[in-house]
Amino acid sequence: MVAASLDRPRRTLAAWRERVRTPAGRRIALAAITAAAFAFPLIDRNDGDVDAAANALAFAILALGLNIVVGFAGLLDLGYAAFFAIGAYTYGILASYQVQPEWSSFWEPLQWLGLVARLPGAGGPDHVHFTVSFWLMLPVSALVAAFFGILFGAPTLRLKGDYLAIVTLGFGEIVPIVARNTPSLTNGAAGLNGVAPPNLFGYAFGVESLPYYYLGLTLLVFLIFVSVRLRDSRIGRAWMAIREDEIAAEAMGINRSRLKLLAFAVGAAFAGMTGTFYVAKLQTATPEMFSFPVSVMVLVMVVLGGMGSVAGVVLGALILQLLQSWFLQDLSQWIHALGRGTGIAFLEQIELVQSIELIFGIILVVMMLYRREGLVPAQRTVTVLSHAEQTAVPARGGISGEFALAARRSVDPATPLLEVKGLRKAYGGIKALQDLDMVVMPGSIVAVIGPNGSGKTTLFNLITGMVRPDAGTVRLAGEDITALAPHLIVERGIARTFQNLRLFANMTVTDNVLVGTHARTATGLLGAVIRSPRVRREEEAARKRAAGVLAIFGNRLLPRVAHLARTLSYANRRRLEIARALVSQPALLLLDEPTAGMNPTETLELTDQIRSLRERGITILLIEHKLNVVNEIADTVIVLDHGEKIAEGRPEEVHRNEEVLRAYLGRTAARAAP
Amino acid sequence: MTIWDILLQQIINGVSLGAMYALLALGFTMVYGIIELINFAHFNVFMVGSFVGLWVLQAMGIVGQGHPLYGLALIGVLLTALVVTMLITGVIGVAIERIALRPMRNVPGTAAMITTIGVSYILFNFILLGAGADSKNYANPLPSVHWEIGEAVLRLREVLVWAVAFGLMLGLNFFVRRTKMGKAMQATAQDQEAASMMGVDVDRVVVIAFFLGSALAGAAGLIFGLYYNYTSFIIGYTAGLRAFTAAVLGGIGNIPGAMLGGILIGLIESLGGQFLAVRWTDVIIFSILVLVLVFRPAGILGRAAPSRS
Repeated sequence: MVAASLDRPRRTLAAWRERVRTPAGRRIALAAITAAAFAFPLIDRNDGDVDAAANALAFAILALGLNIVVGFAGLLDLGYAAFFAIGAYTYGILASYQVQPEWSSFWEPLQWLGLVARLPGAGGPDHVHFTVSFWLMLPVSALVAAFFGILFGAPTLRLKGDYLAIVTLGFGEIVPIVARNTPSLTNGAAGLNGVAPPNLFGYAFGVESLPYYYLGLTLLVFLIFVSVRLRDSRIGRAWMAIREDEIAAEAMGINRSRLKLLAFAVGAAFAGMTGTFYVAKLQTATPEMFSFPVSVMVLVMVVLGGMGSVAGVVLGALILQLLQSWFLQDLSQWIHALGRGTGIAFLEQIELVQSIELIFGIILVVMMLYRREGLVPAQRTVTVLSHAEQTAVPARGGISGEFALAARRSVDPATPLLEVKGLRKAYGGIKALQDLDMVVMPGSIVAVIGPNGSGKTTLFNLITGMVRPDAGTVRLAGEDITALAPHLIVERGIARTFQNLRLFANMTVTDNVLVGTHARTATGLLGAVIRSPRVRREEEAARKRAAGVLAIFGNRLLPRVAHLARTLSYANRRRLEIARALVSQPALLLLDEPTAGMNPTETLELTDQIRSLRERGITILLIEHKLNVVNEIADTVIVLDHGEKIAEGRPEEVHRNEEVLRAYLGRTAARAAP
Repeated sequence: MTIWDILLQQIINGVSLGAMYALLALGFTMVYGIIELINFAHFNVFMVGSFVGLWVLQAMGIVGQGHPLYGLALIGVLLTALVVTMLITGVIGVAIERIALRPMRNVPGTAAMITTIGVSYILFNFILLGAGADSKNYANPLPSVHWEIGEAVLRLREVLVWAVAFGLMLGLNFFVRRTKMGKAMQATAQDQEAASMMGVDVDRVVVIAFFLGSALAGAAGLIFGLYYNYTSFIIGYTAGLRAFTAAVLGGIGNIPGAMLGGILIGLIESLGGQFLAVRWTDVIIFSILVLVLVFRPAGILGRAAPSRS
């Protein structure tokens, strides 16, 4: 009885939630929130409240920017306030009386443009007064901050992500120190004063909070739009792929250095813009406004709301800001009253306003321990599958149905597609691969077999550029691709899967496959935001191709396209890896133990599918332990042992080879065999 | 004072600072070596250690710097303060690991690092709210004995700092190289999975690394107070960043490297402060961090290098 009554409100809440999740419901909810945000200052006419709300908006933008770095790209930035400071000082210096060089004819064209004014000197020479417009400085500050973002991020690109945290922490420390130590530019610790407020068509913003509130709201709406557009684009998917698995991201054609810097630059640009807004609102800037606690506060906002979740981080920022400015004081009073009422002296002493940083620390730890995805998770859980969708009927006969897999390069059937010469790699004293020569002709299936540790995976790593060879060359259709960066090799037409599965675990099946199209698509940062018809067409084509490739595996993957990769079964993960590689339209596909972990029926099914791929023009190089698979589909078998090629030929030839038997079964067995 | 006297004086100062940074750097390096985690909580374990040391000294009746002790009484008081402080911070370190970090052990990405930032913040604000924002005059039983070398002055407190720091470092080195647990620690740092298959209790190794690292941070905190005669809730941040730089400079994960890096950073701080400008010290030290990361990410002594991911 009690349970039932408790159950009811919950069920209605769930139903309500379902209703909001339909596209129309979301649109209505969004419109309602926006309308409420615009109406808020008309309802609450207290200037203090509006001011607090305007500041909260600024921090919401900061949280959005940090979310791009931390949430999308997975790079922990602990000095984010540095970019906020850079944006603030960039505008502050160019819109105040702080810097006043002597007047000369050099400044006249700038005066004509309205960027500077001439200050008549009292008895001395005239001086320059910078009067650059706020509206011009918004994008300029964003660009300046983005530039510094690239500058600060570059040193850590080669290192593991953790180092980024410490380096950004250091830069976050240095920027305020520089501001403090260069008083000629920044007026040092005392701070810049008299920063000009914005002016819109003759309307001066002044000191009242209302116009800033609307300006902040407009900026926030704009940047939410930018964030969402980026998230759902080729760029956003590449960022998330890097977050999930850098090596797999690279192997799918993503230039990780470039994209990491891009994330850094975009995040910094958001902060730069906010800095300009914030300093114009306060009309002053001091080094303390941008110190380490500010960076941590923005991080707490992102963690609280949900890393990677646009709606979440905005909510997180608003909650924390409004908590500080609206509620904590009242809450303290209530606790004091409670203390007086109950006679507990301890309660009377609690000052929540001063404890805000303690609260931040507790939020960070508690969220990480108990709700890592935040208040509003970026990934929603997916509905369950029907019984029919869950049962897959094993299908023989390879791939039916049509899908475009045409490799990008036209292949001359007479020249080798892949030619490896003298390839060598040693790890310390262990020779993983010794002077290997091999050739893969177009349209063939070549299998590499050999005992564990014989150098098979090393060979794949060398071909795909993940490891640099000590000597030797790799040629693809005559072109030397030795030791090119992995993403360039994908562009040239080699794609691979990994023996120990490297999927992007927290991305959906569809998004995993779409990452595979990275090398074949071109949408850049601006394109992703503007979403021009060309970009739309490209995205549509990529999705169509992804769906086609997923259809190869019948109903194994198709019902699960919206599921996260980490929820898939082992065999389906292998299939997804193959789909992700195929969608990059490779001329040569490298499969590292594709049937590992599959049962006999599934193995047969995949064997047929691999054969069909060859029929559709894809050349395949495969590592496989199951010899029945090798016998069935390979044209040529290469046997490696201790990094050396000990045999090569048609499967049945290789089986009779004495050295192969010795490597696999030992000396006595080899003697007994014939 | 001739330039040589100044140089000698700054070297004396620098080695003392460096010894303190080295103790702190060891905690970073041990934890990073074993679980590849930059432990930001370590910054403020050091700061808490400095306060614990102050309270222990006060509990033994030492007030301010006016009442020096001599001989066995001095050694007894200092040793007690050192041991108690190290035990308490060691236990704090273990608690942090058990409560906040163990559940994060196998979580990929930045979650564990973010947790350590949260823990660091909690420690920081506990002291701020509990002890107040003003800096505290330290209880110091050291007599103002000093020796003159030319015009440079070597004070007893510097000798003490050196003795404590080098004693602890030798002890740690012995522990890691000669004892069974130390070898288990090295094995875990090389390959956690293989070590656990060979019967090493990885959880225990991690706990001991946190205990030792935090205990050394506590010792560094006590030394800070005795050396500067004050402590404050904000000391963890700057010292922690410098000690981390020291760990990277020496080669993170490398115990002798952390010691060497610490001394170098101490020297850079004192000589840089003397010959360049104090207000740029942080910028100089931090530039070193960035330059090392860019050009020699394995640090001076290398080995357990920050791997490419």
